[in-house]
Amino acid sequence: MSEDASVLNRKRQERPSLLLSHTARRRQRLAAAMGNGFLLAVTSLSTLAVLFIFYFIARDAWPFFRVEGIKEFFTSVRWYPSAENAEFGALAIFVGSGLVTLGAVLVAVPLGVAAAVCLSDVLPFSVRQVVKPVIEILAAIPSVAYGFFALVVLAPLLQQSGGPMLGVAVWIIGAPVAALAIVVVADVGTDKLPDRVRPSVRWLTICVLGAGAFLGLMVAGKALTGLHISSGTNALNVSIILGIMALPTVVSVSEDALQAVGRELREGSYALGATRAETLLKTVLPAAGSGILAAVILGVMRAIGETMVVWMASGNAAQIPSPWYNFLEPVRTLTATIAGDMGEADQVTGSGRYHVLFAMALCLLVFSFMCNLTSEWIIRRARKKVGG
Amino acid sequence: MRLQTRKLLDRAFAGSGVLAIVLMAAALVILLAPMFIRGAGAIVFTATVEHRRVMLEKFERGNREKLEGEIQGVLTARKPIYDMIADFEQRLADSDARERAKYGKPLKELKKALQVLLGPAPGSVRPMLMRDQYGQTRWDRAQVKLARVLYREEWDYSDPTKGGLKVLKPRAADFAGTPMEGLFPYLEQNLDKMLLPRRTVYWQFLTDESFDSHFFGGIWPEILGTFYLTFGAMLLAIPMGVIAAIYLTEYARETRLLNLLRTCISTLAGVPSIVFGLFGLAFFINTLKVSHSKSVLAGAMTLSLMVLPTVIRAAEEAIRAVPHTYREAALSLGAGRWHTVRSIILPAALPGILTGIVISMGRAAGETAPIIFTAACSVGKPLAVWQTLTQQTPALSWNIFNLATEHEAVDEVRHVQYGMVLVLVSMVLLLNLAAIILRARVSKRLRA
Repeated sequence: MSEDASVLNRKRQERPSLLLSHTARRRQRLAAAMGNGFLLAVTSLSTLAVLFIFYFIARDAWPFFRVEGIKEFFTSVRWYPSAENAEFGALAIFVGSGLVTLGAVLVAVPLGVAAAVCLSDVLPFSVRQVVKPVIEILAAIPSVAYGFFALVVLAPLLQQSGGPMLGVAVWIIGAPVAALAIVVVADVGTDKLPDRVRPSVRWLTICVLGAGAFLGLMVAGKALTGLHISSGTNALNVSIILGIMALPTVVSVSEDALQAVGRELREGSYALGATRAETLLKTVLPAAGSGILAAVILGVMRAIGETMVVWMASGNAAQIPSPWYNFLEPVRTLTATIAGDMGEADQVTGSGRYHVLFAMALCLLVFSFMCNLTSEWIIRRARKKVGG
Repeated sequence: MRLQTRKLLDRAFAGSGVLAIVLMAAALVILLAPMFIRGAGAIVFTATVEHRRVMLEKFERGNREKLEGEIQGVLTARKPIYDMIADFEQRLADSDARERAKYGKPLKELKKALQVLLGPAPGSVRPMLMRDQYGQTRWDRAQVKLARVLYREEWDYSDPTKGGLKVLKPRAADFAGTPMEGLFPYLEQNLDKMLLPRRTVYWQFLTDESFDSHFFGGIWPEILGTFYLTFGAMLLAIPMGVIAAIYLTEYARETRLLNLLRTCISTLAGVPSIVFGLFGLAFFINTLKVSHSKSVLAGAMTLSLMVLPTVIRAAEEAIRAVPHTYREAALSLGAGRWHTVRSIILPAALPGILTGIVISMGRAAGETAPIIFTAACSVGKPLAVWQTLTQQTPALSWNIFNLATEHEAVDEVRHVQYGMVLVLVSMVLLLNLAAIILRARVSKRLRA
């Protein structure tokens, strides 16, 4: 038995074989493991970077929270970081960040989703090939160029003729929307009436509602036209620009979401006799809802993290606008405060002013981290649902 | 609902989508148009004789004899003005105190305004600041300054409901009834003889250093600074990014670790740019002390972290786009995994990876917030390569901000700001254009 085995062994060793010798194989395996380890190490550098960012921002934010506490920071509007008895009430700054982000979302989401729907379902392929680069270029323009535009072109324009522009905008947006709404309401409202009277009642409704809407638009337009804008560097300006900056993100992510909804759903809907609008509104958009939500979250992240535009064109006044939705007043955001105050704060020794800025950065960081996790979770869940 | 209404709604729906896209394109055009049109004005403009003087005296450019001839002509054209002023001053000195009190202040203001327009009067002391040593170099600015000579700005606060209203008062009225009245029409009519405006292409705007905080000269230090920062960032980010992408696509198994890595990469992509700046300050400068204070090196490191996720994602996508048959063919020929990656997959994915790199380069070049605390300064000389390790640098993105908001005379250097924006935006657009073209070629090849 043992003899057989040894002969077999010898034979195996003598036979010219594809297999490498023991040491060579071990060496190769070692090299592979080392290579693998090296690749893993380099890859985890990005993980390390994230951990380091959290650690270093939190480390410099900690002294602030330890000394000043949390309450004043989040609830007071008194922001006097350089005074003798420094006060660090950042509520107005948080509100400012929230306000411009809200404005940016109001600009970017309707436009972005409409554009995404159009790109994925309406336009032919050749037109799409032209539109895609436009979106990419919009995403590529540096933020400081956007900020320069907001400060040098848009702000004087708003200051001089912002009122009339808003008045015209109300008409341009309001008139078509109102007209459609009126037609639909008149149609739905008169559905149950007998055939004989239906057309006349419908026209009557359209006329009455139309007159009402016209009057309403007149009043609104007039009020806005007469508006006095004291400064062009305000929340409205920044919201418009941030909205444009967030558009590419919103468009491309929601277009992906719309594409991920399969043909079957669309074809089923068409087969039931739905028009394209009905298919998209009642079938495709609900199915892509979570993806679009993720797009909105990413847009929010883009808007809240943006520095240069808000620093240059938001007016940098640490106050809550009155009433809070007054977009025509200057505001101040977290990012602009960090960027603007760090130059004045003592960068090395670490005064209260220095640490409060890190506290703000920590808030921004945590917020964007949560947003990121949420959007990833949403996308993953949606993918699972579509896949399953 | 009636069929007609449904059709109407359908049309309106499609129309709103198209409208959104048209609006987006319009936004792009509205954004870029002023940058390109006015940005070109930094290079091609109507320059006065003062511009040619600056060119000759600071950069040794132009024909000295010809310029001296021009200056002779200019001085002759300007002489009557200075003569009028000298005569008037003489007359004031001879007259009584009331007269002197009446004309003293307007005369002083007038002389100041004239100096801004034409440069210091002949025979006066050479001013300290370079901006005061020369008159207006640009004809468009000269027109503005001419208006300042002809009119005095006053603020009218008589209506308390509105803020102050700007009122222009002709200076000639201050000197009514004196020989000085004749100065204003003479100046207005003969300004072109005093400044000799001529269409000029000042392409050296891109390669000149700046003088007296950007009142004169070009933007070379800024361009060079942006170049250093971008290349430094890419030098660090490309190896890290491509290696990470290779690991993620070719080596890693779908484990919890991989999920963690992916989450971290997307978190890194979502970190606000200003937080990167603070991190760079707290980590690279205050903790690692890669340099004593701000430096190009610290800025490039910060930027490289910021573009890392973009590079990883783009490289990952490019590697994934390489058809599986390539891999299988290589493996079946007996190549090892690393060998396959090195000789088959990377070359095939290279154009795609390049696309991502080029786009990230555009991002790194345009980013401002991360370099504020780590690398940027507002005025500086062009750096040599070894100086980038220790010294801070001006950069296009930062200086656009700085000149547009913090400069002492924002309106005077508007053309420089536009010029910088033009250079930065066209840099980024060219990079993106290259990426678009590269990608179109790649997709054609992969399809074929």
